[in-house]
Amino acid sequence: MQDCHKSQKIALCMVGLPARGKTYISRKLHRYLNWLGYNCKVFNIGNYRREICGTECDKSFFDSKNEQATKARNECAQMALNDLINYLNSDGEIAIFDGTNTTKERRNMVQCSLLQQCQNVQTLWIESICDDADVIQNNIRLTKLNNPDYVSMNPEDATKDFLGRIKMYEEVYQKIDLDENLSFIKLINIGEDIQIHKVKGYLLSKIISYLMNLHIYPRPIYLTRHGGSTFNQENRVGGDCDLSQQGIQYSEQLGKFLLDEFPTQEQRNQIHCLTSTMKRATHTADIVCNILKINYLQLKTLDEINVGICDGLTYTQIAIQFPEDFAERKVNKLTYRYPRGESYLDLISRIEPIIYEIERSREPVLVIGHQAILRCLYAYFHRNEISEVPQLEIPIHAIIKLTPAAYYCEEIRIKIDPETGERKQIEEDLQITRINMLTKKKSYILL
Amino acid sequence: MQQYKKTQNKLILVLVGLPARGKTHISYKLNRYLNWIGYKSEIFSIKGAQQNNDQLDQNIDYELEIDPTNQQFVDFRQQLSFTAAHQLVNFLQNDGDIALYNGLTSTKLDRQKLKSLFKEKLKLEYQVFWIESICDDPQVILNNINESKLSRFKEKTIEQFMNHINVLAQDYESLENIENLSYIKLINIGKLVKVHMLEGYLCSKIVSFLLNLHANNRQIYLVRSCQTEYHLLDKIGGDPELSVTGKQNSQQLGDYFIEELKGNKNITFFTSQMKRGIQTAEIVGDKLGIKALKTKNLDEIDYGICDGLTVKEIAAKYPKQIKERKANPLEFKYPRGESFLDVIHRVEPIIYEIERSREPVLIIAHVAVLKCLYAYYHCNQISEIPNIDIPINCVIKLVPIPYHCLESRVIIK
Repeated sequence: MQDCHKSQKIALCMVGLPARGKTYISRKLHRYLNWLGYNCKVFNIGNYRREICGTECDKSFFDSKNEQATKARNECAQMALNDLINYLNSDGEIAIFDGTNTTKERRNMVQCSLLQQCQNVQTLWIESICDDADVIQNNIRLTKLNNPDYVSMNPEDATKDFLGRIKMYEEVYQKIDLDENLSFIKLINIGEDIQIHKVKGYLLSKIISYLMNLHIYPRPIYLTRHGGSTFNQENRVGGDCDLSQQGIQYSEQLGKFLLDEFPTQEQRNQIHCLTSTMKRATHTADIVCNILKINYLQLKTLDEINVGICDGLTYTQIAIQFPEDFAERKVNKLTYRYPRGESYLDLISRIEPIIYEIERSREPVLVIGHQAILRCLYAYFHRNEISEVPQLEIPIHAIIKLTPAAYYCEEIRIKIDPETGERKQIEEDLQITRINMLTKKKSYILL
Repeated sequence: MQQYKKTQNKLILVLVGLPARGKTHISYKLNRYLNWIGYKSEIFSIKGAQQNNDQLDQNIDYELEIDPTNQQFVDFRQQLSFTAAHQLVNFLQNDGDIALYNGLTSTKLDRQKLKSLFKEKLKLEYQVFWIESICDDPQVILNNINESKLSRFKEKTIEQFMNHINVLAQDYESLENIENLSYIKLINIGKLVKVHMLEGYLCSKIVSFLLNLHANNRQIYLVRSCQTEYHLLDKIGGDPELSVTGKQNSQQLGDYFIEELKGNKNITFFTSQMKRGIQTAEIVGDKLGIKALKTKNLDEIDYGICDGLTVKEIAAKYPKQIKERKANPLEFKYPRGESFLDVIHRVEPIIYEIERSREPVLIIAHVAVLKCLYAYYHCNQISEIPNIDIPINCVIKLVPIPYHCLESRVIIK
């Protein structure tokens, strides 16, 4: 439904002490909103500070009594804010202001600037509060020690300095108060407690629902296509056919693979298995879940893309019978909608509830789906550009294991031979995806 | 995701709050929503236990009135509350999925007793979620009393109710984290919301639903797209354009809404992605000066292999399907198409949008889809859906008010 609600610009502003997951939340929101089709960008004050003031700032730089440093830090925040405002006033739709914003004064300055200088903007303040020392320690270990600020230090000194930095912020920290009259959501101890104030509007409501489902349990997500089907063999699209002989064999080998991944029955019982209502997927799920001795859920939302009038035809037949459509699809595969069928954009809209469900789940998830559906799901976890979705490679008879880590997703692809059961780890073939992996690694280091 | 219900534990939703805080209203809305998405859900309250017992004086509000000196009265209230709780347990032990409890829950002790009762009597896996409604805005409380209490107890005055509430407020204990309960607090109709220890698919959904509720009684207009050539040929499905008559009727619809909406341009206006929906909405929208938002969720039910055929052709080609459909019209799925249950699921985001909207809502869609939307507001059982009448060239106006929904229909000539 995203075409409908693009009238207002949105500014999401983070609040919280260091190592409270602000950047984690910013990046997850950024990925989700981009995937839905919005122009979204993150403005991280820390990055501006590193560029302007250099990377080797010890904790005294963050002391509020250090006047010179405070002035410098305020200037950096102002620069980030200016860029954000310019972004929203041009073609940006949603901007995320990733910074500590820990004082009422700073928040007031930001809120006033946004309302005065942006045309038609809605703001939402997202405060992350955490007092669990273990979680904070873990956050520091996972995300700060690789930070350019600590490149030359050993981990122990770095942790000590960072904890000192947090203390500097704590001295002046003012949690969001009701009388600041801001629209906010407070996430306390990773969603154990949530407070929501004055939130209205389609997109903000959606963002709130999304945030309520986030957690940091590192559970794996397995994506696989159903076993090869008779239509696959004939290179046909659509239809509701059954598995080919090879498809059945793959399903059995897949079951065995998962038995090895989850050695005990207790672990297997935790698996959350989702599939579609189409024969080929259900049949695969039947075989796999029989081997694992677990149940699975059939969801119509996971059914393959509806190819409308082209249902049951081969690509050659489509080229002959519907030459204009065939050409159009080649030019713009993302937005092209099969007559009486769906487009990839429709698909993304359709499978959004599945994303919520997978995010919410703290247990391993196994999705047995179809090519187009998995392209959309994979794009969400892999942070691909939406334009890449129709070309993503989701090979048949292979399983993709995604493990969400701090700011990205670890990925392993394993091809399973249906006859021999031989497992081979493979790399993605697409040039595009490789370049993306490089740029992702780059942005990871920046933090 | 109705298939989820098969693996879901039983769920108990307990309402907490002083009188005139909207507990009954929230429980009605939740109950209606949960039944609509396919769960077997029921409300158990002191009021309900009282109504089921013919020997009691139905003119006393046992939830509200309290005379601390009348021990018999106090005991009786306690008894009714327990009766409701026992009925709830029975319901869940059998085939109930979700039970809403509206009884004595105002003190920590009451809640402790309730928790113990559930633990003792329920012999299966269950989850409890507590929903507290808090209000300190006197205008809202006054409105609530006017709308829901005075109509039932005609000899009472507002003052008497306020007095009763003040007495009860003295002993009232709001939910606290130390009680170790999973809860949501709605303060001043959702202006501030606090959630604690939220867990599970269904509770997440319920929280999202509750965040959208408000007390504005705004109108909802449901209209079918106008006539197409398929109507004249008695064909179903397809994606035909409007006929000449259809276009004229759309103009008349537009004129009707100009009068009805009196220049309000802030309405929530939705239509489907089908040609007849878009065209009707364009003509009506032009007259009103607003654009409709097009969403595929409002597309007509997918008739699968029967798409584009006439009723006679289907009877001839697929007699077996016709029989199946007669036997179970709600769950019948057109081969390679959808069933009503699929449509309900597809249309759910629209319900959220309607609930969230505080302005009038205008929806131009198609028969099966409108039946599902209408059922959400009007029907107690989704099995009634296939029999709902949604005539063409007719505007169905729904105004949801506490505990029911006013309806009026206007035929556009």
